[in-house]
Amino acid sequence: MNILAVTACPTGIAHTYMAAEAIEDAAKAKGYQVKVETRGSVGVENELTAEDIKAADAIILACDTAVPMERFAGKKLISVSVSEALKSPEQLLEKALNATVYGSSNLSDAVSAIKEQRSAERKGVYKHLMNGVSFMIPFVVAGGILIAISFLFGYKAFENEGTLASYLKSIGDSAFALMVPILAGYISYSIADRAGLAPGMVGGAIAILLNAGFLGGLVAGFLAGYIVLFIKKAIKLPKTLQGIMPVLIIPVLGTLATGLILFYVIGKPVAFINQSMIDFLTGMSGTNAVILGLIIGLMMAFDMGGPVNKAAYAFGTGTLVAGAASPVMAAVMAAGMVPPLGLALATVLFKKKFTGAEREAGKAAWVLGASFITEGAIPFAAADPLRVIPSIMVGSAITGALSMAFKATLSVPHGGIFVFFAVGNWPLYILAILVGTVVTALLLGFLKKNMEQ
Amino acid sequence: MIINEALIDLNTALDTKEAVIRHLAGLAKKEGRISDLEKYVEAALHRETEYSTAMGFGIAIPHGKTSAVTEPFLCFAKVDSVDWNALDGNPVDLVFMIGVPEEAGTAHLKILASISRKLMKQDFRDSLRNVTSNSELIQLLQNSDLGI
Repeated sequence: MNILAVTACPTGIAHTYMAAEAIEDAAKAKGYQVKVETRGSVGVENELTAEDIKAADAIILACDTAVPMERFAGKKLISVSVSEALKSPEQLLEKALNATVYGSSNLSDAVSAIKEQRSAERKGVYKHLMNGVSFMIPFVVAGGILIAISFLFGYKAFENEGTLASYLKSIGDSAFALMVPILAGYISYSIADRAGLAPGMVGGAIAILLNAGFLGGLVAGFLAGYIVLFIKKAIKLPKTLQGIMPVLIIPVLGTLATGLILFYVIGKPVAFINQSMIDFLTGMSGTNAVILGLIIGLMMAFDMGGPVNKAAYAFGTGTLVAGAASPVMAAVMAAGMVPPLGLALATVLFKKKFTGAEREAGKAAWVLGASFITEGAIPFAAADPLRVIPSIMVGSAITGALSMAFKATLSVPHGGIFVFFAVGNWPLYILAILVGTVVTALLLGFLKKNMEQ
Repeated sequence: MIINEALIDLNTALDTKEAVIRHLAGLAKKEGRISDLEKYVEAALHRETEYSTAMGFGIAIPHGKTSAVTEPFLCFAKVDSVDWNALDGNPVDLVFMIGVPEEAGTAHLKILASISRKLMKQDFRDSLRNVTSNSELIQLLQNSDLGI
């Protein structure tokens, strides 16, 4: 027998390792092969590899904190508390070998598991960036939607003070005002932990002050994070004074250094680049705009929620921060909706080319696509990447290009059909999405082979 | 050194969990390992509320991870069967208490991890119970391949 286990406890100091030892001893006593991954305060040690998991007969999770689960799909798995593993490791082995197989056949669950795993796998600069973006998104969504609602009262209704429309606009503006500081703060937080938050957020506020926008926020966040890391390493205080590092030294020095560097050195160049980018994007029209839409579409579909897709997405949200409703954001969302929608349509039009499970999954793919969750296409692409990925890339590229050509705009960063009221020129926007969806489905029908009976 | 002779007490007559934690925290405070005794005790007791750190076999390992700890430490005490809500229901006679600052170095954490593993071994627990002096205990820990 070959047993794998993962142990983790809240403080990660003692029980993580005790449980690991208990499971190892019990398994060895029975002559089983065993490997235990410990997720304690030292970090992840003895990490289970894909080969380990493939060769395993059963998996034991003795964890009181969340651990990545997706990798265990298709394996017998039992999940218990750490204390259970300390109390009766022998029984645990029995139970694990008789456990039910982990993994869901439900598309929505599978998709959220994939998203979770991907965010766990993010590393380095990309991880810091996505941490900032993911904390920023709720502010953009709240601000964008509330401002869009205020426009429903009439385009200039908010100018009448004391009206609901003016309050909605003010609430939305307040949320927008926090976007860049939150972005910078949480990039810095991801780099330098809690100590990075204050210098990062202040850096973000300075970026706004300097008119450096979204781009300035990115720079400020990374700057603040690495400055705080440097301060932590460079300044060694005597033991008795160490307590003042997090409450006095780091906040003051970190914020001061970040701020001064922004003002004196990099603030103005970044502001210039930011302004040039906005001018370029807003001034872009005709062929250039269509080509940009095309590229965005290709990127959105290429890895369905992976780094390339997220790069295009982050670019889109950046244009929102620049103010007003954005054609780029509109193209990003439309292109991101097409892959699951196109696959859903294909499962209806070309039943013979999909397995029963895929046709079932197609129903959920409608919902995922309509909600702008591009990851909904992943299960189909994983089964047949060489035919599915080119099909969705072509469909998304056409939608992206059409959305730009129709000058559709969007003032919120997410939401799919639920935020269509925030879309400018929505009839043609819907047409762009429909065309891409149909093209994707037809290409799939043409490329995919019939399933063997 | 994560532990020294001043962090060990082989003859305590304390009878409650909190009294033991407080007593050992006092030793750590005297050694300059803790800046704020109350804050540390609170962290350790809070950890106990998640579930008992008495792992069975008569051993408890209360621990606190808090900024009140200025240098990682390990305390050891022999006590007279204290009720610690142990997993196996038995009273506790050996206590290892751990303190870790919010941002501890990996080296210290690895030592604590290896002690935790070692405590699962019957012969190690027997040796701990047979220790008669503070210096003997230090020696036992140093000879146990724990990185101390």
